[in-house]
Amino acid sequence: MHRVLTTCCFCACGCNLYLEVEDGKVVGVIPSKQHPIARGNLCVKGWNIFEFVHHKDRLRYPLIRKNGRLEEANWEDALGLIARRLSEIKEKHGPESLGVFSSAKCTNEENYLLMKFTRTVLKTNNIDHCARLCHSPSVIGLGNAFGSSAMTNSIAELAGAEVILVTGSNTTEQHPQIARFIFDALERKAKLIVVDPRRIALSKVANVYLQPRLGTDIIWLNGMMKIIMEEGLHDDSFVSMRTENFQAFTKHLEQFDLEQVESICGIPLEGLRQAARMYASVKRAVIIYSMGITQHVSGTDNVQSIANLAMLTGHVEQEFTGVGPLRGQNNVQGACDMGALPTTLSGYQNVADAGVRKKFERVWKCELPVAPGMTGTDMVHGALDKKIRAMFIMGENPVLSHPDVKTTRNAIERLDFLAVSDIFLTETAELADVVLPAASFAEKDGTFTSTERRVQRVRQAIPPIGSCKADWQIICELSSRMAYLMDYESPAEIMEEIAMLTPIYGGIYHGRLENRWGLFWPCPSRDHPGTPFLHKGSFARGKGHFECVDYRPPAEIPDDEYPFYLTTGRIYQHWHTGSISRRITMLSRDEPDAFVEMNPVDGRRLGVRDGKPVRVISRRGEITVGARLTEAVPEKMVFIPFHFHEAPANILTHDKCDPIARIPEFKVCAVRLEKVQ
Amino acid sequence: MPDELILNKEHLTSFLRKIAREHRLIAPVKNRYGDTLFEEVSCLDDISLDLESRPAMPPTHFLLPQDETLFRYKREDGQYYFSEVLPEVSTVLFGLRSCDLWAIFLLDMVFEQDFKDPFYLNRRSNTILINNPCLEPMKNCFCKSAGSGPFLTEGYDLQFTDLGDRFLVEIGRPKGKALVEKWDYFFVPATNKDKNKQYEAILEAESRFQQVVDLNTASLRFINNEVDETLWEELATRCQGCGACTYVCPTCHCFNIADRPISETEGERIRTKDSCALPGFTRLAGGHNPRQKRSQRIRRRFYHKLAFAKEKYHRSSCVGCGRCVEVCFGHVDMIRVVETICEKAEKRSSAASLQLGEILVNTGLISSEELKTALEKQATTGKPLGTQFIDDGLLTRDEIGRALWHQMNIPSTAETAD
Amino acid sequence: MKDSAQTLVRDTAANVYQPYPASILEVKEETGDIKTFTLKFKDKEIQEGFTFRPGQFVLASLFNCGEAAFSICSSPTFSDYLQLSIKKVGLLTGEIHRYAEGDEIGLRGPYGNGFPLELLYGSNVLFVGGGIGLAPLRSLIQYLLSKRSEFGQITIFHGARTPGDIVFEKDLATWDKQEDVNVETTVYRSTPEWKGNVGPLTSLWEKATISPSNTKAIICGHPAIISYVFFDLLKMGFAEENIISTLERNMKCGVGKCGHCSIGSKLTCIHGPVFTYREMKELSSVS
Repeated sequence: MHRVLTTCCFCACGCNLYLEVEDGKVVGVIPSKQHPIARGNLCVKGWNIFEFVHHKDRLRYPLIRKNGRLEEANWEDALGLIARRLSEIKEKHGPESLGVFSSAKCTNEENYLLMKFTRTVLKTNNIDHCARLCHSPSVIGLGNAFGSSAMTNSIAELAGAEVILVTGSNTTEQHPQIARFIFDALERKAKLIVVDPRRIALSKVANVYLQPRLGTDIIWLNGMMKIIMEEGLHDDSFVSMRTENFQAFTKHLEQFDLEQVESICGIPLEGLRQAARMYASVKRAVIIYSMGITQHVSGTDNVQSIANLAMLTGHVEQEFTGVGPLRGQNNVQGACDMGALPTTLSGYQNVADAGVRKKFERVWKCELPVAPGMTGTDMVHGALDKKIRAMFIMGENPVLSHPDVKTTRNAIERLDFLAVSDIFLTETAELADVVLPAASFAEKDGTFTSTERRVQRVRQAIPPIGSCKADWQIICELSSRMAYLMDYESPAEIMEEIAMLTPIYGGIYHGRLENRWGLFWPCPSRDHPGTPFLHKGSFARGKGHFECVDYRPPAEIPDDEYPFYLTTGRIYQHWHTGSISRRITMLSRDEPDAFVEMNPVDGRRLGVRDGKPVRVISRRGEITVGARLTEAVPEKMVFIPFHFHEAPANILTHDKCDPIARIPEFKVCAVRLEKVQ
Repeated sequence: MPDELILNKEHLTSFLRKIAREHRLIAPVKNRYGDTLFEEVSCLDDISLDLESRPAMPPTHFLLPQDETLFRYKREDGQYYFSEVLPEVSTVLFGLRSCDLWAIFLLDMVFEQDFKDPFYLNRRSNTILINNPCLEPMKNCFCKSAGSGPFLTEGYDLQFTDLGDRFLVEIGRPKGKALVEKWDYFFVPATNKDKNKQYEAILEAESRFQQVVDLNTASLRFINNEVDETLWEELATRCQGCGACTYVCPTCHCFNIADRPISETEGERIRTKDSCALPGFTRLAGGHNPRQKRSQRIRRRFYHKLAFAKEKYHRSSCVGCGRCVEVCFGHVDMIRVVETICEKAEKRSSAASLQLGEILVNTGLISSEELKTALEKQATTGKPLGTQFIDDGLLTRDEIGRALWHQMNIPSTAETAD
Repeated sequence: MKDSAQTLVRDTAANVYQPYPASILEVKEETGDIKTFTLKFKDKEIQEGFTFRPGQFVLASLFNCGEAAFSICSSPTFSDYLQLSIKKVGLLTGEIHRYAEGDEIGLRGPYGNGFPLELLYGSNVLFVGGGIGLAPLRSLIQYLLSKRSEFGQITIFHGARTPGDIVFEKDLATWDKQEDVNVETTVYRSTPEWKGNVGPLTSLWEKATISPSNTKAIICGHPAIISYVFFDLLKMGFAEENIISTLERNMKCGVGKCGHCSIGSKLTCIHGPVFTYREMKELSSVS
């Protein structure tokens, strides 16, 4: 038996772990003790990560649809067909009729190559990935405010904070290792403020817990800032020296009426006051947020508001402070960094900038498309009205992960051609014309960038199973067939090209990642040690920007017909659409079925007992799930995880989006509940 | 050949090299990333043996792997066949510590009694154990309190005590003796001076423990039902249910059994390390879970370590290796729990009302507001909480009984299923 | 792995985890969701050597589906087959309900302590079986009836949700025909055709004279129902050790290794599943 150190492929904490390999099979896992995040432990998903690699259901050979059925094929035919169909459709309907989903589960190198393929071969900027569904508001909101959308500080710095404000993040379940640092901070007498509509585990150890109504974040954030201003707790010198637009902001805030806080968002003013004082009165305070802030029609404004709060109190630009958007997927940070986005090339270099394009064109030796691409949500809508006719999807499962499953499925089915590369036959792959078997994280080399901007190695532990190929090889072969040669020998070579074209990755090479626990970008040159915390001394954009933000209610709120709020999210044991985690015996044993969390009082009103089935109905559709009575959710609100294909929560959600970030409002919609007789 | 010998440190590598040629040699190795793990060593040249740090996973990992095939099966023409797979490899475990060795003794008992477990026992009978007692206890070690170290007087096949430039080698069992006899030219007889030096080292090591953990008192408190039950609720707010405390524990041995299909016609029955910290561990096919709450599961783990083992094996099954202390996300560890149990005993009754109230809230019979009101009233009326609800017309006696019954773990039918 | 002259010690213990193939001789539909499977080991010697006590259980393996524990519902006196009554509650039980005569499953066992026969000799025995809970009792009832003279009065109470949920109807009728056995069946919800008793199990007390001092009560059924049975029996004056029931736990290995079925300092698969009420009460306090 031997062991291979690699990076976990579940969440963005970026734990390093050893895969145990015996006779060419991955048979176990051990966390790294020295790794600064793993620190000798993993979450339950990590501890059981090895099992899916050899699962019976892994795709082992390419599939081509013949007479309506997916049948076994060889690589030659599969890649040939994709190349031909993409070319034909591009020829006939123009490059803008093609769309690409890249994957936050894949490596940086693969995301970079797919982004390059989309722009050089397909000649379109229509590339996006699941960051659209999680942190696109952070990319825009924090981008506007600070000049960079990533976590401002490293995870380990949390342990040194004096006050931690957690909002819209069920940290213990979704980012267990980050929660661990919060517990460490609490051990050192730090104070914890939790603001969340669900009474999450952290609320039980919080010094202040505030329970707002769904989708009312701007109210309490503005309220908190108003209190801080009124009580003179803001950081005057920081604001005047490091930020801009403050006058307009204060003027705007003056009109905010504190009296509306309790009536709109349900938080008693006294509690908010306590939280405001706690947060503003210390030097080192951190805000941690996640999907609970971003997945709203006001997502970008929510993020902007959080940035306002941090700047107002001077809680940025130094160690142990800052704003931490917790990224979900193992490499969602990297996929954004690599430019798998419709408007930016790698390193957030704007496609619209002719100088940037010229730089890439020189290396890539071809002309790049100028028109901004479509976002993921818009591509799906585009498929509905035939604006998008063909798609290449690498390692994503939009049929389950996008809102309003029925519409998404309908849209995907309307495509003239769909190619999917994945490790399992996902609900999306089932609809494809060609399915390519991809190698899992254990079968390839590359890098992932964790939520704290730490770029780390992924190391191949075993050869690809069956006839699987790593996605970077798939893209190379496909590209070469479409008259654009990609002949990289290894991911290390791809990383060299990334470093050359991407200033923030300028000093990141595989060799440099070897004998340390990765590097934090920005790392502009070979001798640069990396940057654990951003905006040191000054914001990336120069001065921090205050934005005036107004409350906008959610797109759909409960009424007489649909009287309950529904919010969706994840649970500890499972990962997104469950294609990996539900195939792991221990995880599916622990959480086998979908459920709806509801308050016992509502359960009693409906006559529903714990564990009994309930029908949850929205304007889009209905599902039947078991009731889980818990006071974690307030009355008149229910929570459903979206992992379960047999009861997909996203049948219920709607596809109204944030106007700027185009993120759908997964966190709020209205439903009706019925007891199943 | 005498039972106490000296091996010059310069010869250690040569001796291990000989062993590695004939056995699977497993030893603590510090790898290039700085992690020390028990590793299979085939070539002694490019590794760095590390006898100073505690390997992250216990050596029992090799006797009871995380994932193991129990047998293979196939189905052909409607017939169902089974075929045996048994591990057979001769192994030498070098660089063990006394705590880990004790853990192996405890596992021996578990897998020997009632029904014999062929997988564990086969590995075990083909394994030679070489102990390296700790001279320098680590920060969270408490083997001395646990009665499992730092030195052993028996049980090992060989024991190597570091005396600076040489090892005092004690022969414990025939398998160890055979190993030494085979390569006897590396060894010379030990003198009284060597033995005195070992004795000094023992005294020295024993005086250096930073942790004193009163496992015995905690065990007795548990057995005598004197543990404050609110403790588990408090710990449940910090436990995240990762299962690591059991995965890194050298004496934890629980496993799950499941089928792993290979194709439409064949597959293997596997066992995978399982953990009593996980919610599915006790859940029954119909959905009922006798340990539904996290607090119950935490309690179970400590009950098993402290009381169960004490009653069954007359000692706690915590060997004081300190691993769980260092990995817990929320600082739910043996040292703290034992300290708390010893401090906070006999506060049980005050918790009873709260427990009833909580059960009623959880089953949806009353809201937490109603509970609060009832508790306030109870403070003036002095009635038992249940009576208070009945008198207020909120619940019937039947409803309370039923709710309690569902929460208690007493009953029931003989049918268990998947 | 080393290919040296090193001799390996081969522990002679057989693989306790490996089942033996058994064929389904018959499938009988008891109710909408309960079927009784008659099984026989394919290996003649194994079938002949298979002995058990009423109340013991076996682990049944289904191809690609894993394994689950079921108590044997036939009497040990029938040595050329064994029967399992299985209610559809989960994946594996759902799967076995699709199995038919001639199909093969895997079996290993018997495991567990079984009912304490030695305590029953010379006593009156009261059986109370709610729903599928009658299955393990059936094994014991058949056994006792085969040695009828060695026991006192035998009373059998069976309760079902509806008349369609009554299990072992034929057996109940046969037992009822015997003069020295008192059988009473009740349903919780009646139908127009049903002419028998209506009401919970506990409504049957008046149908028989039970003397708490020299009767052993053996109870099996859904927790919510048998809790009331326990309650009434204790009220009647039964001693806690004369009330015998079985404990339901998630059993995986059946041989005391895997830890799933542990409760207090006991392992249900080794020390149970049969416990007296007194033992259960003690165990429940430590879970």
